[in-house]
Amino acid sequence: MSHRDPVIFQIGWNACINCGACVAICPQEAGFISDFDTIAVGRPCDIACMLCEDICPVTTITHREVQKFQIDEINAA
Amino acid sequence: MPSTYDIVVIGSGPAGATTARVAAENGLRVLLVDKRQELGAPIQCSGAVSRHALEEVGVPITEEFIQEPIYGFGIYDHQGSASIIDYRQMKPDEYGTGDGKKPLGYVVDRRRFDRYLMTLAERAGVETWLKTEGLGYTPNGSDSCEIRLRRFNEDITVKAKVLVGADGLQSQVGKWAGLRTHIKITELASCLQFVVDRVETSGLLEIITGHEWAPGGYAWVFPKGHGYAEVGLGVICTMTDKNAQWHLDHFLQRSFFKERFADSRILEIQGGGVPLAAPLRTQYADHLILVGDAARHVNPITGGGIHTALSGGLIAGRFLAKFLTTGQPATAGNLKSYQDAWLEKLGDKMWQLYEEKTQIFRTNDLEERDRQLYRTMSSYFHPESEYKKI
Ligand SMILES: Cc1cc2nc3c(=O)[nH]c(=O)nc-3n(C[C@H](O)[C@H](O)[C@H](O)COP(=O)(O)OP(=O)(O)OC[C@H]3O[C@@H](n4cnc5c(N)ncnc54)[C@H](O)[C@@H]3O)c2cc1C
Ligand code: SF4
Ligand code: SF4
Repeated sequence: MSHRDPVIFQIGWNACINCGACVAICPQEAGFISDFDTIAVGRPCDIACMLCEDICPVTTITHREVQKFQIDEINAA
Repeated sequence: MPSTYDIVVIGSGPAGATTARVAAENGLRVLLVDKRQELGAPIQCSGAVSRHALEEVGVPITEEFIQEPIYGFGIYDHQGSASIIDYRQMKPDEYGTGDGKKPLGYVVDRRRFDRYLMTLAERAGVETWLKTEGLGYTPNGSDSCEIRLRRFNEDITVKAKVLVGADGLQSQVGKWAGLRTHIKITELASCLQFVVDRVETSGLLEIITGHEWAPGGYAWVFPKGHGYAEVGLGVICTMTDKNAQWHLDHFLQRSFFKERFADSRILEIQGGGVPLAAPLRTQYADHLILVGDAARHVNPITGGGIHTALSGGLIAGRFLAKFLTTGQPATAGNLKSYQDAWLEKLGDKMWQLYEEKTQIFRTNDLEERDRQLYRTMSSYFHPESEYKKI
């Protein structure tokens, strides 16, 4: 649905209350989850709907855009 | 050879622990797994549940998990006018603290409550594994499926006739089977609550409506035992450009309760997503059923899901025990009767509530919407309400 570039999320762990709302709203395939039960960090999301950022009760999710061609490099690393 | 069970349940919340216990009580061989080290923590719940809900599924009411008994409700409009539904006054012979009298419900500690429910399952013969995450499942022809688990870093595969996904709102099990589990952003409330000291309560669950305080949802003040209270709210993000944290601060500092909250001290901070949504249209697949939040068995008006998780667990546990004695294969087609049984007992009413809720939020006029929400909440909690039991 989105024509945006993929994004990689960062979570401000200091504010995260481990509530799981970001995972609950996320339409990604199964397993797009971090070790702390939030949406995945450090790997790109190509859907980039940003619902996870919207639902976070303490607004502690941020992202940077990555160009599609950069993803292979990230995955390779 | 992988170990073989009749059923494997992923997630030991109220839904999973109850499904597992009831299935074992009815003779099935059951494995119950949860990825947490301590059930219920971190807390993502306020813990209000009716006494009826516990009795109905045979959960003994004990001090171990009760934080405070509840005797009724206070429903407020956005300016603070209230309709008080106090069963101690309406039915003084039945409800109260004296001899032979009972509370209407309780606020429970989800850490203790979930642990207790798992203990009951364990005592009924269920094998229970903590620190065990469900990673995936593969149906294996017609008689069983393989379930991949990781337990304390060890990869383990087990076999079962039916896998039960009771893994809560963040459910992955439904996704494994390709079920449509997605929740709309307009139907998932972003919630935040504080457990506080120095806020008076009086045995009532208080619910505060109004777009000004909680756009798309409502705010609450619940008694939490030991003189503590829970103050929280849920908002629908598309109806505000602020987050739940901002709204909770605003509610604490600006609402008609600001004097009541003036001395409050925050003791705990919790949150979560609450679906004000309809149940999943399909809650089964080959060798798989979903129960509780994973199937979106949640009251779409109140967001309450403990009662529906418990009674959904009872329905699922009984269904599986009966179904598996017939020797029929657990194909999607055959497991559909689980969902039919659930719809008949609970689901159809939940759909009605969902229609009612959708109608209210379709109203664009904010004042009219506030009025309708207040009216619906007040009548919902009334003793004569036809929805009282969900
Ligand atoms: C802020 C807030 C307040 C609420 N207040 C109330 C209230 O006052 N009253 C009420 O009735 N309801 C309330 N609810 C709703 C209620 O908490 C849920 O409906 C209820 O917990 C659902 O129970 P469940 O058993 O389906 O799922 P859960 O209680 O979410 O249990 C799911 C379990 O599955 C485990 N799990 C998940 N994935 C895996 C995996 N892959 N492998 C292994 N284990 C896994 C989890 O660790 C968890 O223990 C509230 C919710 C929120 C967010
Ligand atoms: S942007 Fe959308 S799809 Fe990607 S992680 Fe966030 S919620 Fe999930
Ligand atoms: S929604 Fe925000 S607070 Fe909740 S788990 Fe995700 S990042 Fe943490």
